[in-house]
Order: sequence, then C-alpha cells, then structure tokens
Amino acid sequence: MSELFVALTPANLLACFVGTVLGTIVGVLPGLGPAGAMALVLPLTIKLGPTAGLIMLAGIYYGAMYGGSTTSILVNVPGEAASVVTTIDGYRLARKGRAGAALAIAAIASFFAGTVSVIALQVAAPLVARAALAFGPAEYFAFALLGLVLLANLTGGSRAKSLAMVLVGVMLSTVGMDPLGGTVRFTFDLAGAQGGLSFVAVTTGLFGVAEVLASMTEPAAATPVARVKFRELYPSREELRRSFPPMLRGTVLGFLVGLVPGPAATIASFVSYGIEKKVSRYRRELGTGAIEGVAGPEAANNAAAGGGMIPLLSLGLPFTPSTAVLLSGMLLMSVTPGPFLLRDHPGVFWGVIGSFYVGNVMLLLLNLPLVGVFARVATIPPRYLMPGVLVLCAVAAYSDNNNVFDVWVMIAAGIAGWAMRALDFSPAPLVLGLVLGPVLERSLLQALTIARGEIGGLWASGPAAVMLAAALGALVAPGLTALLRRTATQRA
Amino acid sequence: MSRDRWSAAGLALLAIVYLVIARRYPLDTLATPGPGVMPLIAGVALFATAISIFIVAITARPARDAGGLSETGAAPTRPIESSRALSSPLVLAAALVLYAALLPRLGFIASSFALVVLGSRLMGARGWWRPVALALGVTVAAHLLFARWLGVPLP
Repeated sequence: MSELFVALTPANLLACFVGTVLGTIVGVLPGLGPAGAMALVLPLTIKLGPTAGLIMLAGIYYGAMYGGSTTSILVNVPGEAASVVTTIDGYRLARKGRAGAALAIAAIASFFAGTVSVIALQVAAPLVARAALAFGPAEYFAFALLGLVLLANLTGGSRAKSLAMVLVGVMLSTVGMDPLGGTVRFTFDLAGAQGGLSFVAVTTGLFGVAEVLASMTEPAAATPVARVKFRELYPSREELRRSFPPMLRGTVLGFLVGLVPGPAATIASFVSYGIEKKVSRYRRELGTGAIEGVAGPEAANNAAAGGGMIPLLSLGLPFTPSTAVLLSGMLLMSVTPGPFLLRDHPGVFWGVIGSFYVGNVMLLLLNLPLVGVFARVATIPPRYLMPGVLVLCAVAAYSDNNNVFDVWVMIAAGIAGWAMRALDFSPAPLVLGLVLGPVLERSLLQALTIARGEIGGLWASGPAAVMLAAALGALVAPGLTALLRRTATQRA
Repeated sequence: MSRDRWSAAGLALLAIVYLVIARRYPLDTLATPGPGVMPLIAGVALFATAISIFIVAITARPARDAGGLSETGAAPTRPIESSRALSSPLVLAAALVLYAALLPRLGFIASSFALVVLGSRLMGARGWWRPVALALGVTVAAHLLFARWLGVPLP
C-alpha cells in the first residue's frame, strides 16, 4: 500500500501532469479520441519506464473524460462520445448564462466520481485478481468470449456489424506467429508481418488517420466560444445542493457499468441521464438546462473510466479501446497485467492507482482556472491541427518496431477506418478483437489440450459454463426477439 | 440499404479468401489443436455474420421505410456523395501511400514536410506561407522530440 506514494515522486508527478493536460486537450478536440491519443504517445511513454509511462497514459485516459465536457457545455460540440449527453442540459445552461456553474459542476462531479471509483478500484482490483488466480484456460476463454459478445451488443448501431468487426479483429490477430509457437500465418512472406500486425499501427490508423480523413468531409464549424470569467465559476448553493444526489447516483451506476465490456463511459452517461429523467425531483426541468443533466452524466462517465480499469488490472482483459492501448503499453514495457500484476509489479500497480488520486486533483485544479484556454483549443482550425496529427501517427507507428512496414499498416488501417465510418462500422470492436484474439486462441487451444480433446472440457467448470451460456444468450436472444417482433407485426 | 448489402458481400468475400488461405495451416486433432483451428472458427463466424447482415439489409428495408428513423435513432448519415467532398480525402489517402513509399528514400523530415504542406492545403489552408511554416514547425519539433531526445531511429 505504501507504494501508493510512488505516484508522488517528481518524475511521476510530471508524467501525471503532462498526461492529464494532454488528455484534457484531446477531450476538448472533437475527432481525436483518448485511444488514438494514447497510441500516439506510446513511443514517448515507453522511454519513461513502466510506472511513469503508464501514469501518463492513464492521465490521458481520464483527462479526456474531463475535457470532453468543456466543449459540450460551451460550444454544444461534444469532444468525446461520453459527453454527448452533457450537451443537452450543459449547453442550455450556458445559454442561460450559467456556463461557469455548469463547468464547475462538471469538474466537481468528475472529481467526486473519479475519486470514489478509484477507492472502489483499489479495494476491488486485488480481490478480483485473487479470485482470478483460480481461472484456468477454459474460464479465460469463456470470459473473453463473453466480453466480445457483450461488446458487440453494446457498441450501438447494428449488432451484426459490430460482431463482424470483432471477427475481423480476431482474424487480423492471427497474422504472424501463432500463440502456441511454430507456425507463421498470413504473412505473405513479408518480414514486417512476422511478429503480427502492430497494434499501435492499427490503432493510430483507425483512430488517428481515419479521423483526419473523415474530418475533411465535415464542414469546418467556426463557433465563437463564450468567455468565462473566473468568478463566474462558482455554482450557487442551490445548484450545488441539487447536484449532489445525481452525482452520487451517477457514480455508483457508472462504476458498475464500467465493469461491463463495451463503451462503458458513453453508456453510463446516457443511462445516468435516463435515470435522472425518471427519479430526479427536478425531472421536468431536464432538457431545458438543469444542473442534474450535467452532474449525473459527468459523474457516471468518470466512474465508468475507473470501473473499466478493474478487468484490465486484475484479469489482463481490456474491454475498451483505451484500456486496450493501456494493455499494449504495459506489454511493451514488459509488464503483464492480470492476476500476477500485483505480486510481480506492486510498484506499477499501486503507482498507477495512486496517480489516479493525484490526477483527479490536478484535473480539478487545472480545469477550473484554465477552462477558457482549453475551450479555445477547440477552435483551432483542423487545417492546422490535422496535418500534424498525421505526422505523429506515422512516428508512433514507425517507432513501434522501427519499421516502415508498420507505417503501411497504419495507412491501410486509416483508409479502411475511413471507409468503415462511411459504412457505419465502428472501429472499436475491431481493435478489441485484435487485442483479445490471441487470448481467445491461446486459452481455447490450451483448454482443449487439458481436456484431452473433449469439447465438453470448455464448460466443465461452473464459472465457465455460466459465462458461455451468458455469451450464447447475448448472441441469440436479441435476434430471436427481433424475429418474434417482426412476425408479430406482420401478423397484426 | 444497398450500402449494407455491398459491405456484407465484401465481408463475406474477405471471409472466403481468409478461409482459403487458412487451409494451409493444419487443424490436427481436438486433443492437440493446430494453428488452423482459430482461423477456421473466425472465418466461418465472419461468413455467417456477413450473411446475416445481408439478410437484414434485404428484408428490413420496407419496415424501416415505414418506421421512419432507424432503430438506433442515429442521425441520418451525412451525404458524402458529392464528388468535391470525396475527392480531397482520396487525394490525401493517395498522398499517404506516396508518403510511406518515399519515407525510406527521402527520409522522415523531407517526406513529412511535404505531407504537412499538402495536407493543410487540402484541408483548406490558403496561401503557402502558413502551410510551409506549419510543416517546418511540425517536422522539426517531431525530429527533435523523437529522434534526438527519445532516440527513435527515424528514417
């Protein structure tokens, strides 16, 4: 536990500061999201060593949650998907002249939820890790499979399309050496593909290059940003009082949603808004500029970011693109997250958790006074910003293996990602398929070997059977209900 | 939606090509599964998913037209059909391919400089002064940060 204070060394404080500032900027900018930004700075963080590097990556991750709300409130443009809901009441509050109060409440709700979820993370992660020590290959296979199926269900848009992207990701993960060693697959004799497709190259392509290409077809929105004076930032006592219950509800809800695979932060913010609409005493005002519509969702998305760290830190299984980048960062620094992380690298584990506390305080201190500066970042025209992003993407992809092949992979992923967006396919499931593909394959093959070829060995244990049944249910149930509904309407 | 039909067909084709190539890798036995097992599962599953997307795309159409908005309530997709809107990303995509090809020959600084100048012009920057200044700034900063300080051996 004393390792928590690892986060307080000057180098780690600096890493945390840089990470949270970068994260806030990324959150403010529409387009570039946290996963893409984290992939961009991977080469930089690797040089910092595991603890400082991961602290910086994590700072970007939750800093983006903070920054995303700023532009939602001030310019009605959500910087992140998780802040879309905040535009509804946040922007209307700004129109009413309460922009400062809305920003302050958003920051306070984020801080509160972030801190509470870190406490919960600190308690829960070691417990989950200990329980996971009993997990064999069959359980890992079932859990990863369940995660991917749930992810496809929850990503939004067409379920089949998300599932297809998961599978394409799994297929891409089979490029290179097979996980049990020996056979080199799908490389077409390209030397650069031997070690598998670079995750950094695919991620920077899908989330960086594709965004740049997509931004070119969007009309540049020149929105004037309202200036917020420092003394306008104080919410009234009434606003503070009204914010507290939604904040509390949003925190609990967000943390729980964060444990479930999928775009947890986004879902949590929407669900929180829905709950406020049902239970809040001021539910009639929601949609017209009610502070509850900011406090609840902003707490929920930050708590979800904390909850999402539990599967990563204690099982080694990421279920969001951002935690997938964190995982690949850890692996590059030869830290393997999972049940043994706490035993083998206690400094990294507690250092990162400690940095969450520090980062939350930093974000609060940064965001309140500097909110105007960050809001103005959002008004930098893309024509000056995006070309630089392209070069950073290329550097990040290249430096993964010091290989131009990875730049090719990045460009191919970028063009494919642009086409995917145009055809309503989401890139997030693909990235997670790519990351979890080897986990699936290795655990499946090992489980079969252990069971001496008996397929039943996959569901011989209780937990594995339950998870596989849940995966099957999640896969089949929505299709069945849709079918039933369709036949019912046809008959009617 | 005809776009969904085409993307489903593309995914099915991808699955078939993948499965054909995957035949090279042995399946072995269930007790000692070989490197061909996972590709077989993934390929077959993608093919099945593509078929289901295709079926939904051809059958769901009348219902959706009658119902107005799609189930997800997503905003109507932006019209990207206009040739002007499509051409500049395509030019930039081509420029990126050229960039990767020239990277080993011209080196990082020269090719990145050209990419940034071209990119900012394509995105609507006017004149030459600002794009050139921007490109100079970006490439020199990236070079100093990554090549000098972090020791990434940029080409």
